[in-house]
Amino acid sequence: MAVVGAGIVGMSAAHFLSRAGWQVTVYDAGVVASGATGSADGAVSVASKKPGPLMTLAVAAVKFYEQLVATGILVDEYLPRSTFVVASDHEELAVLERHAGELEAAGVPIRMLKGAALMAVIGAAAPTAIAAAEVQREGHAVGYRVVERLRQLGGFAIRRNCRVSGFESSNGCITGVMTEQGTEPADAVLLATGIGSMHFLAESGLIRPRKGQLIVTDRAGADSPHFPGPLMSCRYLVSKGSQPADSAVASRSLGLVIDPLRTGQFLIGGSREDRDDRETADADVVATLLRDAVALSPSLAQLRIIRVFSGLRAATRDGMPIVGHVGGAENLWIATGFEGDGICLGPMIGRLCQQMICGESPEQDISALDAARFGLTLAAAA
Amino acid sequence: MSDVQSFLFDGVSIPCTGRETIAAALERAGIRVIGTGQGDCTGRYFCGIGACQACLVAVDGARMEACLTPARGGLQVKRILPVSP
Amino acid sequence: MSSPEVLVIGGGPAGVSAALELARAGIDVTLCEQGPRLGGAIHRQPDDPTQSVRVPRSHKQRWQAMSDELAASTVKVLCRHMFAGIEATGAVLLEDRIHGRLVTRRPAALVLAMGAIERVAPVPGWHLPGVVTVGGLQVMMKSTGRAPDGDVLIAGSGPLLVALAAQMASLGNAPVAVLERSTRLMSVSVIASLLRAPAYLWEAAGYLLTLARSGILPRRGAFVTAIAPRDGRLSVTTLDRHGRERQMLVDRVALHDGLLPNSNGTMAGQHGPFIVRAGDCREVLGGTAALADGRLAAHAVLAQIGKAVRATKVPAAILARERQAQAALNTLFDYSGRDPAQLPDETIICRCEGRTLGQLRSMLSGDDPVSAREIKLNGRFGMGACQGRFCAEWVASFVASQRADGSPPQASEIVGSRWPVKPVPIAAFVTLPPSHPSE
Repeated sequence: MAVVGAGIVGMSAAHFLSRAGWQVTVYDAGVVASGATGSADGAVSVASKKPGPLMTLAVAAVKFYEQLVATGILVDEYLPRSTFVVASDHEELAVLERHAGELEAAGVPIRMLKGAALMAVIGAAAPTAIAAAEVQREGHAVGYRVVERLRQLGGFAIRRNCRVSGFESSNGCITGVMTEQGTEPADAVLLATGIGSMHFLAESGLIRPRKGQLIVTDRAGADSPHFPGPLMSCRYLVSKGSQPADSAVASRSLGLVIDPLRTGQFLIGGSREDRDDRETADADVVATLLRDAVALSPSLAQLRIIRVFSGLRAATRDGMPIVGHVGGAENLWIATGFEGDGICLGPMIGRLCQQMICGESPEQDISALDAARFGLTLAAAA
Repeated sequence: MSDVQSFLFDGVSIPCTGRETIAAALERAGIRVIGTGQGDCTGRYFCGIGACQACLVAVDGARMEACLTPARGGLQVKRILPVSP
Repeated sequence: MSSPEVLVIGGGPAGVSAALELARAGIDVTLCEQGPRLGGAIHRQPDDPTQSVRVPRSHKQRWQAMSDELAASTVKVLCRHMFAGIEATGAVLLEDRIHGRLVTRRPAALVLAMGAIERVAPVPGWHLPGVVTVGGLQVMMKSTGRAPDGDVLIAGSGPLLVALAAQMASLGNAPVAVLERSTRLMSVSVIASLLRAPAYLWEAAGYLLTLARSGILPRRGAFVTAIAPRDGRLSVTTLDRHGRERQMLVDRVALHDGLLPNSNGTMAGQHGPFIVRAGDCREVLGGTAALADGRLAAHAVLAQIGKAVRATKVPAAILARERQAQAALNTLFDYSGRDPAQLPDETIICRCEGRTLGQLRSMLSGDDPVSAREIKLNGRFGMGACQGRFCAEWVASFVASQRADGSPPQASEIVGSRWPVKPVPIAAFVTLPPSHPSE
């Protein structure tokens, strides 16, 4: 089994496939977690999802994380906690109440916080909030740490700096993986290379990069206010998924999440920009995010930013991930296009890919993600 | 020496001249442990050029390297203590 | 029409030299210095001008001449302005500590003259209060005009060790010992090289004479193996060249294992200004070379912006001579530090995040060749507030020593090349005015 892409999806799939008896090799043009997995915010969260298949899958994905902790696979790598979706004015409150209702309808435990209860829970962290929805039973996982744990558990080989250039086929079946270091035999292939997956497909323009910029602070001091969990501005709900990936003009929107990390640091994010200059962050976006963050939580002004980074999300044309069988080869599967949900969904998708590839019926309904909706086929050149 | 002033370091009055840094004034006062630092290491004077970040203190609430920050009379300087885990 | 602005970062000899040379050519120059006063580490000015450390007269005269010219020049000097990096659109970010704000500049060119960073090879206990860098203790002494009090042990390798020791002795508190790791001896060829830059020989002779008068001579081949707290002081274990172990109880330990350019995260971006590095920030060659290199950097800027450069081979010749002298000097020292194989697992490697050698070893224990990026992210080496300045180079060379796969990680892969190049207060950042889309 060849898995292309050593991000959270590919590494999870490799983990489960190797335990299902496959001999697995993971290929990556870079190193482990060098794409979106290594520059994600780590939200294992339902709080921002819109109603529909994605919200349902996110609910299942959170439970899957809990299961991985219980079975010892991700011990210490998943931090359960609530997310607080915060409204700062009455316009945002209306959005918040509608959204909280949608989450509750999907079975997500919600506690609306107002007045004294609001003050008691997040008053110190966000004194200007007028209301908040506490989205319970979700958590945080650092993408590159999850992948590192899976690497340590082993059972499969990793080939770093080994770009897959194409496949060898015979009678409609892939028989080998072509790399810079030679061709290696493969009985089945899973493409999990985010945006890079498009390289192997006949379709173009289906997945576009959507850049995100994130900020890391130094550690809070003992006299800093207590943060019970990440604060998400209601405006994030407006910005997320508001632009289809095929929009003609490059645009950007900013959503605000202030995430207290276990180290005592904060992760502040993030932008959603239709551009692909991944290596750079711009001061204007960072300053705007920080101004919004300080407006919501003034004590952050005492801290310093020590790192700014950006990553590229793989955004599909319809905003839904692509998971399923690819046409043109009997033994080729794909799992990509997770945009901002890769860390949340990744481990579960890895498991579902294993079930799919092993011919079992996946334990979650992923028909809405099926690659067939775009009629995906293997590129002739690949 | 002219214009002797003082600033408060965790409530203790530390004399300083108008031209020295907070690190120099603390050094003269015999204070070596100047915070808990970032991570597991103790806050202390180390490189003297603002690079190592080990002498970080809160100066009137803002985090600054003691080795780069002029000591002025009336400043409120505090050790930065970590959040208990 | 106004002339293009050039920004010079760093108020040491290289930066001041570059700024002056540019000003002489009629360029609009702004010189930024992170500290309250110009001078850098080498020309650190005393807090109280009546109490200063004895420095070689040539140093003093050199800096005086530069200060006088600077005062009469058109160079705008901004002290307490730290360089925070170059962001995506090419703007240079400066943190203005005087007003507590972040400002952006879009100069035609940027001269980076941020000096050197001291290397300190890890030993158990190097993170304790009372353990400082040799340069750190020296700048403190130059500022206060007083020798550090108490019993001081100086250890490591390099010419800075005897310089500090002699300056301390002159101020009335000689160190209890100077441990110089190197056992290398001066050869005829080294002397021949140094005779072309005789100032070093005179300086060294002066320091050694001062030390001899105080009864202190460097113990060659000796080094520190561990430092531990004891009764409010530091208990230091040392080994001499014959393998004899010794315990010393001291108040401070000053460590130094050479110098590295302070050029973290300063790579040119796609949209940024023309960038030149000058002085130790480019290549560690010392103060004399820094003056010449500052002029060369200025010439590179002038050529870039289409200004005539007065033809002179003098700075390049000085640089070549200093490079040769430094290369000769470096053969006398041993910057390798304690053999990692001899260091216990508990040794702190990353002081910011409190990461240990044992944690690094365990990351490298399997057959899987983990990459520099994985070591950084999962090991947290280089992820702390100093941004790898005091561990990245050591971690990279340690990993390389454990690998035979021909692809050793580079320190730059651990440090990265992103802004901010140093932590920036959020309170300062939020003052940045929003940009206008029409710009």
